[in-house]
Amino acid sequence: MSESSTLTPPPSPGKTTVGAGQSMNPLRRLLRAREAGIFLVVVVIMVILSIASPNFATASNLAIVARIIALNSIIAMGMTLVILLGGIDLSVGSVVALTSVVVGFVLVKLGMPIWVTILAGLALGALVGFFNGLLIIRTGVAPFIITLGMMGLARGLALVITKGSTISGLPEAYLALGQGYWGLVPYPVIIMLVLAVVIHIMLSRTTFGRRIYFIGSNEDAAILSGINVNRIKVIVFALCSTLAATEAVIETARMSTAQPASGVGYELTAIGAVIIGGASMSGGEGTILGTILGATLLGLITNGLILLGVSAYWQQVFSGAIIILAVALDTWRRRRSG
Amino acid sequence: MQEAPVLQMHGIRKAFPGVQALDGVDFEVRPGEVMALMGENGAGKSTLIKILSGAHSADEGQVFIKGQQVKISSPKEAQDLGVAVIYQELNLAESVSIAENIFVGREFRNRFGFIDNKTMNTRAREWLETLHIDLDPRLMVRKIGIARKQMVEIAKALSLDASIIVMDEPTSSLPTATSKPTELNEVEVLLEMIRKLRDGGKAVIYISHRMGEVFRISDRITVLRDGKLVGVRNTAETNPDEVVAMMVGRKLEDLYGHRSETPIGEKVLEVRGLNQAGRLYDINFDVRAGEILGLAGLIGAGRSETAMAVFGASKRDSGDILINNHPLAIKNPQSAIQAGIGYLPEDRKLQGLFLKMAIRLNISAADLSLVSSSGFLNANKERELSSLYVKQLNIRTPSIEQQARNLSGGNQQKVVIAKWLAVKPKVLILDEPTRGVDVGAKIEIYNLMHQMASQGMALVMISSELLELLGMSDRILVLREGRAMGELSRADATEEKIMTLATGVKTGS
Repeated sequence: MSESSTLTPPPSPGKTTVGAGQSMNPLRRLLRAREAGIFLVVVVIMVILSIASPNFATASNLAIVARIIALNSIIAMGMTLVILLGGIDLSVGSVVALTSVVVGFVLVKLGMPIWVTILAGLALGALVGFFNGLLIIRTGVAPFIITLGMMGLARGLALVITKGSTISGLPEAYLALGQGYWGLVPYPVIIMLVLAVVIHIMLSRTTFGRRIYFIGSNEDAAILSGINVNRIKVIVFALCSTLAATEAVIETARMSTAQPASGVGYELTAIGAVIIGGASMSGGEGTILGTILGATLLGLITNGLILLGVSAYWQQVFSGAIIILAVALDTWRRRRSG
Repeated sequence: MQEAPVLQMHGIRKAFPGVQALDGVDFEVRPGEVMALMGENGAGKSTLIKILSGAHSADEGQVFIKGQQVKISSPKEAQDLGVAVIYQELNLAESVSIAENIFVGREFRNRFGFIDNKTMNTRAREWLETLHIDLDPRLMVRKIGIARKQMVEIAKALSLDASIIVMDEPTSSLPTATSKPTELNEVEVLLEMIRKLRDGGKAVIYISHRMGEVFRISDRITVLRDGKLVGVRNTAETNPDEVVAMMVGRKLEDLYGHRSETPIGEKVLEVRGLNQAGRLYDINFDVRAGEILGLAGLIGAGRSETAMAVFGASKRDSGDILINNHPLAIKNPQSAIQAGIGYLPEDRKLQGLFLKMAIRLNISAADLSLVSSSGFLNANKERELSSLYVKQLNIRTPSIEQQARNLSGGNQQKVVIAKWLAVKPKVLILDEPTRGVDVGAKIEIYNLMHQMASQGMALVMISSELLELLGMSDRILVLREGRAMGELSRADATEEKIMTLATGVKTGS
């Protein structure tokens, strides 16, 4: 277009924009997207598992896998928002435990109706996240440290409330939330899909979502562009915790008991899913679709190891190794693309 | 009579994404000479030095040291070949002693393998004495001034037996914000030391923007522009005007352009009694519609601090900011933008751009309401807005979907300017708007500034390049140590007058 050689940037092959790239032709976008690679891996793993184990491609197993993936995805979507900002939230697993016991307490010990219980659980999650965000913006301490503290704090509270024991005797109607089906599809999967669509639209089509990308891409530039960075940080941490609480409400119904020991290590699975899904730990890059594919990959591998009779202890080793591998590959790819 | 060059670089080429930083540059320096390396920001000086020091590798070209072709692929290799680079941002460890800094990585050990501080201090003192520096090598580096730190770096270079010593803007931060007459002498001491190095047979490469120093200290001058070698001159046979013309590639009158004759209008921005504890003291100024006010001063004089305080990006302890004679409660950048103030920050990569995001997304960043309704983004509006500014500002890019990081410096800066034009501010503060952009883009930016002013915008320009300030401003306000030292009209302003106000010391020798 221009003759001036030093001023014209070289054409950049295959570099699409971060965030919402709505302007490309949809098919090309689909093929070029980073998500296409992960999707391919997911398909390959499914084919391998179908051949390796006769129990994989059965309706009952697929429903189990889908439910686990859905639950992990709900937390990972919240983690995606936080990581997009350039932050991290280590407290999600403990929020799951705290919400779970509060749900049990409100429902069984106080005998409140189900809808009140759910609202209480979600409000609790929002409150914990609000405090995470508030502490981060007020103290200026890194999210890693603040949420590490909250991780211990929330877990401790969960144990205090139940004195370490579990709460059972949840009403049947409540259990359906985690155990029920709509046709062949488990309820948790439907809840996850609805949330995914809403969050995807929020990220790609709203000014709020755009500002999250701005902050993660360059926080100083965001401040100097007049973006209220602090407010958005608090909201995002609150959303992340609320999503963790949502998972806890469903998981408690699925397990039929409220357990202060639930949610251990969930932060690792969530962060892993987000990173495998192509997000950058330094913020500003990542999508909901990528995160769900990342969670699917981790869920399938865990399920495959169970079906192939690998011990539960080894499963953790594999998950950890896969996360390291994914991050290493991603770093290598980024370095190559400069 | 002339010795063979100790360093020769031939046909050096180096490309970064979006820019050919060096395009076949030849460079040489002889032992016992001071070679000044000059060029505007973005001309390729630092890239050339980084290739010499092993921090970057050249795409093409050869390097010869003492006649031997060498391949320098790491700073360690450069050190072993006798190349020492003293960077602007000094590479000393602040919390350890001078001696430990000089011998870092080569500490003396006693027979038990422990560090032998006594020998190290003695040897460090010997090196400092060869430079006639009276410094206690046991002092922590944090406790000494910038000029002395530079001397420590030189002592370190000597102790490494360097034959090629590169000094990257050694005086740019002198005199510092706490300038006392004695610190002006530190420049003298430094220049004297460079002469000593030269007389001792070292080859010194001296990078500086300060024309006066270059002409006092150098034997030859190499000028780069836009990654190409413009020429080499014997210092005795040239003059500052010729060198500046070589640097910018045209006569100065053509560089800054002209503004169509529009009268200067009403006061748009007025700052009254601006105070910020320890930084800014009672700063007053105003800017009128259609006017460009230049803000001059040394590094640390409080120019950017003033801009940030007016823009609400830092807290004011006291002071009023008036727009169109109405005092406004500006407490953060949002309220400043709403009041009609824009701020193009000093460092476009760190403060201005979302590098990994598309041009389209960058341009609407300061006011998303332009491209959205009830919180939902409208992709068509975004494309229209960004296409409009890409065209209007002549931003050279294959597409509005291009990531900002893939653009050249000048086009990146135009994206940031577009972001501010989109919100249609009444006042735009431009902090070093042409830093690190090539000459062609500079002219475009100057013309844009004239356009904005003639459309009635009030502009404040902060710049460290005196020629640029003199060429563009209607008035120049000079700051020193956080205080306004005086204002010069376009007709009155000269380089000397600005420097006198900026340093508090009569210059002129």
